[in-house]
Amino acid sequence: MKNRLRVLRAERNWSQAELAGRLEISRQSINAIETGKYDPSLPLAFKLARLFQTTIEQIFLDQE
Amino acid sequence: MHIFICSSGSSVQRRFVRRMWLSALFCVLFSLTAAVFFRLVHHPAVYFAWPLAALPAVPILGALMATGAYLKEETDEFQRDLLVQGLLYASGLTLAVVTASGYLHDFARVPVLPLIWIYPLFWCVAGISIVVLSRRYR
Repeated sequence: MKNRLRVLRAERNWSQAELAGRLEISRQSINAIETGKYDPSLPLAFKLARLFQTTIEQIFLDQE
Repeated sequence: MHIFICSSGSSVQRRFVRRMWLSALFCVLFSLTAAVFFRLVHHPAVYFAWPLAALPAVPILGALMATGAYLKEETDEFQRDLLVQGLLYASGLTLAVVTASGYLHDFARVPVLPLIWIYPLFWCVAGISIVVLSRRYR
């Protein structure tokens, strides 16, 4: 699934490792989500939204 | 993925690797004990021989429990997913190899794959699958 994670991360000058640390997951997981190879679960998507103080729809793009 | 490297990864992963190595160690230790015993004692009593022969399988149950515990304790859902995918590939390939070995034995008189190699084969395939899968997400 396409997403704006890389942009949101860049706006805050966070590295993948830094974001992974804030979410208590691995950097590899962040990379997989950013590149659209892995779609996170709803709880992780909410966690991301809370961290970036936005909504899930603002992070993940519904392409249907 | 750091799952098979003891020195890196999260504490949950390190704990899982430690438990798996411990299980493998006891498996080898019990196998050696049984092998030495059956080499020295030719006609042991059934009530003693059967439990001793089955002893190396006990750490396998421990490994299954360790895997279950890891899947429960791991908070990183992506890492959990990688392990599950690796286990699925390993299950599929191990079943295919064992079935093929059975057919080869029945129809072409090829020596059958000894059953004790199924478990190591399963984890070898799981390990390779996880490494290959994790390379895709580096």
